[in-house]
Amino acid sequence: MKIRLLFDGDGPRIDSAEGPDAAPPLDSLPALVARLRAAGETLRRTAGDDLVGLLDAAARLWAGPEHPLAGFLRRHRLGFLPLWLRRGNLETIAARSLRGHPEALDGFVRLSPADPMLVRAQPRGLVVHWLAGNVPVLGMLSLAQSLLSKNANLMKVARASAGMLPHLLASLAEAVYTNRRGETLSGRILSDAAAVVYADRSDAEAARELSLAADARVAWGSLEAVETIANLPRRHGTEDVIFGPKTSLAVVGAERLGGPEAARRVAAALAADASAFDQLGCNSPHTVLVERGGAVDPAAFARLLAEAMEVEYRRAPLEQADPAATSDVLTARAEYAMRGQSYGSRGMGWTVLYADEDAGLAEPCFQRTLFVRSVADVFQVVPLCSPHTQTVGLAVDDRRGPLAEALTARGVQRCPAIGAMRLYETPWDGLFLMDRLVRWVSAA
Amino acid sequence: MTARRPRYKCLGYGNEKVGFLTDELLNLPPFGVAAASKAAALVPAVREELVHHFEHCPPFQRWCRHEGFDPRGDLEDLSAVPPLPAGVFKRLALCSVPQAQIVRTVTSSATSSQVPSRVPLDAVTRARQMRALGAILAHRLGGRRRPFLVLEAPPEAAAASDREISARVAGMRGYLLAATETQHVLRPDGGRAALDREKLVETVRQWTSGGQPFCLLGYTSVLYQQVLRPLAQQGFHIDLPDSTVLLHFGGWKRLAEQAVDKAALGALAADVFGLAPSAVCDIYGFTEQLGVVYPDGPDGLKRVPTYAEVIVRDPQTLEPLADGRTGLLEFISPLPHSYPGVAVLLDDLGRIVPGSAGPDGAEARALEIVGRVPHAEIRGCGDTLPPRG
Repeated sequence: MKIRLLFDGDGPRIDSAEGPDAAPPLDSLPALVARLRAAGETLRRTAGDDLVGLLDAAARLWAGPEHPLAGFLRRHRLGFLPLWLRRGNLETIAARSLRGHPEALDGFVRLSPADPMLVRAQPRGLVVHWLAGNVPVLGMLSLAQSLLSKNANLMKVARASAGMLPHLLASLAEAVYTNRRGETLSGRILSDAAAVVYADRSDAEAARELSLAADARVAWGSLEAVETIANLPRRHGTEDVIFGPKTSLAVVGAERLGGPEAARRVAAALAADASAFDQLGCNSPHTVLVERGGAVDPAAFARLLAEAMEVEYRRAPLEQADPAATSDVLTARAEYAMRGQSYGSRGMGWTVLYADEDAGLAEPCFQRTLFVRSVADVFQVVPLCSPHTQTVGLAVDDRRGPLAEALTARGVQRCPAIGAMRLYETPWDGLFLMDRLVRWVSAA
Repeated sequence: MTARRPRYKCLGYGNEKVGFLTDELLNLPPFGVAAASKAAALVPAVREELVHHFEHCPPFQRWCRHEGFDPRGDLEDLSAVPPLPAGVFKRLALCSVPQAQIVRTVTSSATSSQVPSRVPLDAVTRARQMRALGAILAHRLGGRRRPFLVLEAPPEAAAASDREISARVAGMRGYLLAATETQHVLRPDGGRAALDREKLVETVRQWTSGGQPFCLLGYTSVLYQQVLRPLAQQGFHIDLPDSTVLLHFGGWKRLAEQAVDKAALGALAADVFGLAPSAVCDIYGFTEQLGVVYPDGPDGLKRVPTYAEVIVRDPQTLEPLADGRTGLLEFISPLPHSYPGVAVLLDDLGRIVPGSAGPDGAEARALEIVGRVPHAEIRGCGDTLPPRG
């Protein structure tokens, strides 16, 4: 077993750009777990509002253009993170997740005035997070919700993005918040309750020990990754929250294609969704189904979408082309150039593909590749979806309600407007994360 | 350079072939041609074939127009030709001659994707492939045909007349064109092939006593799994003459999964057959450009023959890379006449080894295959050549 310690209460052990091999081996997992549990107890005694205040204070710092982290956030396209960590958003998440009673994190409450039962949300204890390499920021989102739920946290990161989370946690430790009672709190309350480790995926013993340490397990990743984690031994009563692989798509109704300007607005919003996280998120669209009958037909929409993708690309270029995807993208580009329409950047920055005869969903190519396909009616999208469909972005007007009803009944998790697909919201993948990271207890 | 009138009339379009520049190219030796002389023969031949495909394969013409390339104009730099990704041959049936002229369709092994490339061959293309492969193999084997000990089971007779064959079968048949005699030393054994050790020993004894240099030929994964590994496990050893060449083809994916690399295979060949590393020859090739193969030279490097050119492209920008740098491999050859496979971009990674002449001093660019793009599909076959008749 070889676990490397990348971050704990004493600070980061590697630079943000370094790989995990630069970090020292972890001396003792039980000792680290004991330290985390002790820090979790401090967290449990801290008011939930103070924890929100600390995260909000960190977010305010990071939003400043002069802050050392500003460049880091920009480089890693984490600009939304300071907004996501602001008080308003966190309070909304906590309220939604905890049955409208986030104060249940601090003590017993009644869920309604007439209800005689007192309930309280106690933290689970130690939450072990397995993070995916494709969208590493997800780790920060699940960590923040776990901290707000007053849990200690052990984060197992992916090799590809090992340095990111330690860097963010080090900065979180520097946050300072003064509450309404005039008490000044340090971000160390939060960062002491988190540690970041790395173990090779082939290290079965390390994976087993991490799993056995958990009171709750949160896993993000591919089917292979999450199934491996789910099959690890665990203690009885351990809660599992699995965010497995899903795919997303977008639907554009004819009513939003009344003219070039209206269509351009949809295309711009869609391009932003497809370019975020370099299309690696499970909420990233790959196929765009465009309803025929508008003034702008699907083929013309594909052209407008290509223009919008180029604008996004110039604003935020593809971070790094994946050689494994390059071949697929080039093949798709050539195929569509031969039998349809193929638009693309000079290199591997983005691609938009269209052919009249294509139907259904395309096999994702990634690398900011969008397949535009025509449908006679937006409701034809419904049978294409399943519980493996994460997000269907909608650009429709009056039919939004019935369409969302049909799609979600089919298994779709989210139906936001196109332009909001890339936002990480609560609920996510059909659950309220904070709700799963607490134990609801009662008293007379 | 202005557009030249084709010196041939297209087959199948009511005309008779007069002659192709590619035929003239194939009159040159496979190696040892000075770079300027090679370019003078290769570039016009490539352009002639590109014009043919442009005019007779409408999808290819759309591709060229999409890429802003018109082969009827000047062509001085082969890197200006937009390469077709090899995967296109899995998605579309691309053909540049009438269907009636197709004599055989070769399919790749499609190890990962399960979707094979399909390459249609006409008589013109097939004849070119035979000439090119024959010349390259003859160069590697010192200009002499030899007996071949084939590390496969004997083929079923019916397969010879199949209109559609796999690249593996076609490749084996192609290499055997260089054989004066063949002996198959694997036999069917419950759905798979097993080594006939006695036949191997007896055949080697006969050929060795006759003083005749011979070759061993096999598919790379079969060579390891069915021959070298079991023989090594049995502690078997037989010293083959120094003149023996062990040819193997088909790619490394199956062996890479077992962590077997070129060095490990060479070490086993030394243990079992007493062969030096220079006698073990990996042959690289691919279905979409049949006939042109890239065998290891005695120094372990592959040379780009007269009949082809290699361009290494940056995986992100697709721009050509300088010699020595690793990138995606593009192969250009004018041999394909029945399908537009003149310039093909693979998902294999490699580099041109700078400053290396051929081991015999002959001029040729040296090529190193570094591996496959992670998760990309392995190319199925070392090379293929359709059988005669």
